[in-house]
Amino acid sequence: MIEFILNGKTVSTDDDPSTPLLWVVRDTFKLKGSKFGCGAGLCGACTMHIDDEAMRTCILPISAVAGRQVTTIEGLGTLDDMHPLQTAWVDASVPQCGYCQSGQIMAAASLLKHNPNPTEADVDAAMSGNICRCGCYVRIKGTILSVAQQNLAYNAAQEQKA
Amino acid sequence: MSAINMSRRQFLKTTGILGGGLVIGFSMTGCSSSELPITLVQQGFVPNAFLQITPDNGIRFYCPRDEMGQGVTTGLSTLIGEELDVHPKDMEILFAGVHSDYNNPDFGVQGTGGSSSLKAHYLQLRQVGANTRGLLVAAAAQDLGVAASAISTRDGHIVVAGKQYPYGQFVQTAASLEAPTEAPLKSNAEFRYIGQAFARVDAAAKSTGTAEFGIDIDIPNMHHAVVRRSPVAGAKLKSVDKSVALNMPGVTDVIEISSGVAVVAEKYWQAKTAAAKLSPVWDEVALSKVNSSDVRADYNQAMQQDEGVVDTDEGDVKAGLAAADHIVEAEYWAPFLAHAPLEPMNAVVRIENGEADVWSGTQGIVAAQGLVSRFSGIPVEKVRAHNTYLGGAFGRRGTLTHVIEATEVAVASNKPIHLLWSREDDIQNGVYRPASLMKIKAGAKNDGSITAWQAKRVGGNITPKTLQNMMPALFPGLNDGTIDFMVGLSRDVFAGWMVDHASVEGLYEDYDTDNKTVNHVTVEHDIPLTFWRSVGHSYTSFAKEGITDELAEKAGMDPVAFRLKNTQGNPRLNNVIRVAQQHMLAMQPAEGRFLGFAAHNSFATDVAEIAEVSVIGKTIRVHKVTCIVDCGIAVNPDIVRAQMEGAVMFGLTAALYGNLELVQGAFKQSNFHDYPILKMSEAPLVEVVIIDSGTAPTGVGEPGLPPIAPAVASAVYQATGQRLRSLPLKIA
Repeated sequence: MIEFILNGKTVSTDDDPSTPLLWVVRDTFKLKGSKFGCGAGLCGACTMHIDDEAMRTCILPISAVAGRQVTTIEGLGTLDDMHPLQTAWVDASVPQCGYCQSGQIMAAASLLKHNPNPTEADVDAAMSGNICRCGCYVRIKGTILSVAQQNLAYNAAQEQKA
Repeated sequence: MSAINMSRRQFLKTTGILGGGLVIGFSMTGCSSSELPITLVQQGFVPNAFLQITPDNGIRFYCPRDEMGQGVTTGLSTLIGEELDVHPKDMEILFAGVHSDYNNPDFGVQGTGGSSSLKAHYLQLRQVGANTRGLLVAAAAQDLGVAASAISTRDGHIVVAGKQYPYGQFVQTAASLEAPTEAPLKSNAEFRYIGQAFARVDAAAKSTGTAEFGIDIDIPNMHHAVVRRSPVAGAKLKSVDKSVALNMPGVTDVIEISSGVAVVAEKYWQAKTAAAKLSPVWDEVALSKVNSSDVRADYNQAMQQDEGVVDTDEGDVKAGLAAADHIVEAEYWAPFLAHAPLEPMNAVVRIENGEADVWSGTQGIVAAQGLVSRFSGIPVEKVRAHNTYLGGAFGRRGTLTHVIEATEVAVASNKPIHLLWSREDDIQNGVYRPASLMKIKAGAKNDGSITAWQAKRVGGNITPKTLQNMMPALFPGLNDGTIDFMVGLSRDVFAGWMVDHASVEGLYEDYDTDNKTVNHVTVEHDIPLTFWRSVGHSYTSFAKEGITDELAEKAGMDPVAFRLKNTQGNPRLNNVIRVAQQHMLAMQPAEGRFLGFAAHNSFATDVAEIAEVSVIGKTIRVHKVTCIVDCGIAVNPDIVRAQMEGAVMFGLTAALYGNLELVQGAFKQSNFHDYPILKMSEAPLVEVVIIDSGTAPTGVGEPGLPPIAPAVASAVYQATGQRLRSLPLKIA
């Protein structure tokens, strides 16, 4: 039995400890937003946050997340209460087929958490493990940079108020 | 967008809804007894196959085409919404079930592809919207006791003297009236939604992980299946020791099926782990001995020794060549490619009480229905096919081997089955863009006019294999022998009598000359082939634009001016090239960066691209691509831009990396480490310029792809002096 925290809720499973987290989240806990693309940590469609770090969960056994915080796209924001990146994603019509976008957004959210003011090169470095076969890269990059700018402007305004 | 209802779908006759169904627009329901696959909600009114309007003014649009990322749900809802006066964002959009009313008007079957959707449905869906609006206006006139001429419509409402009434208020009366069949359409100047760049209707679902793809379907008691297939296409299972998998945790069944051996387990990972333990032994087939070098050698031999079959013969090529001041001749090569959509192939099949359900994201849901029927023996009318979002397709999701597999496993295991391919399965057991060897000999006069164009292509054909895949699906009652006979006939026809036009499209059409020949030599190696984004154009543009650059240089002309000179008979392409030339002249590439140009017509759309490229060592880096497109009216200009951006990236992956190598009949590449996809850090900026020609829309999903490889090759030539005539591009 392995226990971890999934989107803020403690869960436990008797799935084999070697089972990749992606499949436990999808098949056992029925959260389908995280996707399977390669099974080898090469495409990023399965990206979740493990204690705030973006990780490839198609190759991450659940034994490695025992007791840790796991956040999926469902835990980042919802249709009614979107994360700022998700709102910006919609406004810019970023997705095409949409299959990679959960992973893209989770990778982007982790980047901005660690680096609120990324350069273009920072975005490239953080996002180049996330493949988009439809080729939405121009919009993904532009949207991440614009959300970062909005965040900085917001924070600056808050500081000025305080 | 709401996803397909996962519970069993009710099939309701249109006649039977609110005392009389109405058939309007281009609907063919009137002469067909088959029921629309529409679930009635809240006494909804179904005036035709495409719409359901509820008393509380819910407006459902049954989208007849498949959403694979090309934006078709937004595009088609914009067409019907424009005339109905309902904004697409205010509609609930669902994927249509199987019915002939949902056929693609261009194809006559319920399929999505060929960049056809906006073009094919442009007038049809607008007419359906206009007729439905006319019906609602007539109902409102009756209910409100005013003249129809006193009524206008806005945003899902009837407007009379400034007062608004929701459409839903009139559906009961509308159901008792005859719908107009030719309600007048808006003029272009009256458009409120067509031509506007509003956000995609599926963006929110796709940004929150709530869009439902085939892989996400989860039904009660569903078991998971993983299949081991021969690495060599067509080789059958000889033997397998099933016990090693049967003894693994969670495994319930190990079943031999037509494509190999399937492991069924309670969970996917259990099935996957157990399937990996199997050591199946496969038959040897002719392909088992073939390597990439053999394919190339066979193509070379055919190019040299075989005249092939004539596709086009216009004017007098010999005389044209004799009249030329300059002649060039060269061979161009393009390899086999996989589509590699990010969502691997999958299907869910449930068979219960003599009925079946199939869920799969496909480019032809009718084919999924037909295959389930054929491989389960359940009559077609008892098979409900449910489409989902497609996690990329690019032509791949027209071939539904995974639906056959899931059906076979569901029948044999007596369980609802979720069958999923791995990425390795996708790259090694798929259907492929054919490899092509192309040779063009062309001549021009000193003034730059082309005098002769002699083209030849060697390679496999797409159509016979597509027939082999589609016929059992579309005609589930046809026996195997008949299908084999007809497929064999098509293979012989294309090998010996006529040319599969998809094999040579784009090789010769764009430039003016009276003297043209196109010959084709079919050389097959039993590798399954199919459409791949932009089909024949994906490789012919590379040869056609490459040789055009070579001829321009030999004639001493600027390559863009040379193309302008030779597109006098092709005014729309000429205009696109002219606009591109203006952009190119204004560019001032930085030190070490070079510009390459290419243009191509495909799917009735004209595109020119300018690539800004640097070459450092052996690395080709594309910094920026400017794309000029004329696709008629841009129904949603932002989606046109997105499709051009995406096609450039897709084409760059092929231009810079895409290569499948055959070793003993099996493809060597297996996943994204050796079949790489362009990454963000390698992606160029893309600027899209849309020419507003005001004519009816033409394709946008594919036409952005063909110019990119030759544009990059042209820039590489500027940078290095090397004419690269093989894809992927490699600096010598």
